[in-house]
Amino acid sequence: MGGVTLLRNKFGKLAVSTLAGAMLMVTAACGGGTDSGTAASPEASKSGLKVGLAFDVGGRGDKSFNDSAYAGLERAQKELGAEIKDLSPAGDGSNRGALLEQLAQAGYNPIIGIGFAYEADVKKVAAEYPDLQFAIVDSGSSGPNVTGLTFAEHQGSYLAGVAAALKSKSGHIGFVGGVKGALIEKFEAGFVAGAKATKPDIKIASEYLAPEGQFDGFKAPEKGKAEAEKMFQDGVDIVYHAAGDSGVGVFQATVEANKNGGGKWAIGVDSDQALTIKEADQQKIIMTSMLKRVDNGVYEFIKAFKDGAKGGQTVAYDLKVDGVGLSTTGDHISDVQAKVDEAKAKIVSGEITVPDKP
Amino acid sequence: MTTVEAVGTRRVRRYHLALIGVALAIVLLSLVRVLAGSTDLTSSGTFAIALAFAVPIGLAGLGGLWAERAGVVNIGLEGMMVLGTWFAGWAGYQWGATAAVVAGLLGGALGGLVHAIATVSFGVDHIISGVAINLIGPGVTRFLSEVLYAEGSPANEAGAGITSSPTLSSPAPEVSLPLFSSGSDWLGKLENTHWFLLSDVAGILRGLTHEVNVLIIVAVALIPLSYYVLWRTAFGLRLRSCGENPWAAESLGVNVYLTKYIAVVISGALAGLGGVFLVFVATKYVEGQTGGRGFIGLAAMIFGNWRPGGLAAGASLFGYADGLQLRSSQAVTGLFLLGALLLILYVGMRLRRGPLGDQGAGHYTVVGLSALGAAVFFWLWLTVEALPSEFVFITPHVLTLLVLSVASQRLRMPKADGVPYRRGDQH
Repeated sequence: MGGVTLLRNKFGKLAVSTLAGAMLMVTAACGGGTDSGTAASPEASKSGLKVGLAFDVGGRGDKSFNDSAYAGLERAQKELGAEIKDLSPAGDGSNRGALLEQLAQAGYNPIIGIGFAYEADVKKVAAEYPDLQFAIVDSGSSGPNVTGLTFAEHQGSYLAGVAAALKSKSGHIGFVGGVKGALIEKFEAGFVAGAKATKPDIKIASEYLAPEGQFDGFKAPEKGKAEAEKMFQDGVDIVYHAAGDSGVGVFQATVEANKNGGGKWAIGVDSDQALTIKEADQQKIIMTSMLKRVDNGVYEFIKAFKDGAKGGQTVAYDLKVDGVGLSTTGDHISDVQAKVDEAKAKIVSGEITVPDKP
Repeated sequence: MTTVEAVGTRRVRRYHLALIGVALAIVLLSLVRVLAGSTDLTSSGTFAIALAFAVPIGLAGLGGLWAERAGVVNIGLEGMMVLGTWFAGWAGYQWGATAAVVAGLLGGALGGLVHAIATVSFGVDHIISGVAINLIGPGVTRFLSEVLYAEGSPANEAGAGITSSPTLSSPAPEVSLPLFSSGSDWLGKLENTHWFLLSDVAGILRGLTHEVNVLIIVAVALIPLSYYVLWRTAFGLRLRSCGENPWAAESLGVNVYLTKYIAVVISGALAGLGGVFLVFVATKYVEGQTGGRGFIGLAAMIFGNWRPGGLAAGASLFGYADGLQLRSSQAVTGLFLLGALLLILYVGMRLRRGPLGDQGAGHYTVVGLSALGAAVFFWLWLTVEALPSEFVFITPHVLTLLVLSVASQRLRMPKADGVPYRRGDQH
């Protein structure tokens, strides 16, 4: 790195180390002090229930995972009369622990962390505040006052795989994951298993936008677009994404691919994206969405807390309790619904065990 | 008279060398493409993405060039770029693509102005001011999002959230070269025949001319334009003199403060334009979409020895590696073969220069290691079916690091770059 050598000549070693330190600071503190979203209850707390919720990277308004959690929180506000507060982390998620502390100190109980990235922080803060109840989405319980809320994404993705295999005309489908790692691999594993079980000779392209731990893969629409474009050029006609905000790029690529001859589809994730996405041209190409009912998980947890339930266990939301499933907005999969329901019944009965690792 | 001629012939030779280098690179790439069978190495899709990834890096690098040529170190490019993305998203969803460009330029220029006030007027350390701007950029934009995109606001109805703006109301226009890359699409047809060299050239040309965002054309044009303004006009000479020796410039009547102000504001505007381009690609503002491109642009500028042509080469290299990695993890293994061929070429050139003994003992080691490296790369290409994804993801960074360490041995930054200047001070 000639630049560094030059800098050293120029400023001396001290300056170089300052620069290095400064750059570290930037990465660590990037928006470390950014404000967070708040939403105070309009009709104050009738029940004395104060629920605090800290979002995953992407925050409120991601039209997907976080917004689904917020829907559950809102329902608790309406139906249980809870006072609610939600905080969004900094762009790089470095202040997750601080958000939980902030909620705990402000007297919120229970406190919910959205996303597996909260695992370590929830464990730590829950140990510091043993009198408060915590919940974490996408991770198991890590203490006597922590409730784990996990979802069987692989089962829902299996159904998406079944639907994609049946709807694909080219016999070639694709999967775009945001960030490599155990959680997103569950989506991939289920999708592949479902497609292969339906059509053994189907071709599946599977790609990730970022390596493990590099969470910007969830917010890089240009990369999602590039990846999906490549798949469509290779003959893929249905792409399933589990890539957060980057999924918007997948939808854009699908809209563009349909300009040169139709029949290309995208499958959304987490929320019913044909409803949460506002762009009309993108709504039309979303065949279905793999629903992950984080809203149900959050609401049920708050309700159970109100009824006096204590933490220390992990609640699994799977197909049996409709914790995951496929959306039907637009009626694009009504012709294969019977087969999808059949697969669902088999999973619920235990006849099919869906793998959660690729 | 003779010196003028000597300079003239040397310039011609360097220009020719660059052309020969590019031609050689294309021949090598097509050879590797045929041997390794990974069409993505030279496909139009890869080059289209490479171009799209190189543009924001190149614009940030150009921004760095303008500031540093005037003697102000600008590591705040990232923050200025973030301001550019936010303002482009905010103006774009209301008034369309043109407004997005104007607002992004202004947003970036605002960041530049803050940097200029701090460093030029108040003599704040350039690094500290730059770091502050990198912190302020994301902070201010998050604050603005919370105020303007909050629940219940009209923007929120249109699809905004705390971390993203609504979609642009009109997309940026895209143009293609008629007949060649659209309509009858001659280049596309030629590319699909997969002939040696011809198809590769066609693929590259098609990638660079098919459905190209107008902002890409502007960005590419800005490189020779920057060269012209900085090296061929009186204003450019004054600006560069502020970066080399502001005290001498002052003694000749140059308004150093004003010149530095102009340079840093233009620098911020260029970084902001890089942000606008990212917004155009995503069709909306997404928090964190700059992804460190401001820093990479700065590295591209240093790689390019504080010159426009060099920084364009650096940005293209990173764009290509990043695009290839995304397009095809399998094509990345083709790079092993490329590495082996390059090293063999290097050994050949070394041996042609005469017996090794005449060139000193150290050269045995260099040639020996190069030959060994070539053998290892070749063996890797033969045996490795697909790279583990962890390696594929870091390819662009490894490639950039390698090229940087090989190519950037003799760099010269502007002499008074980063040195505080006070009017009237003796030096």
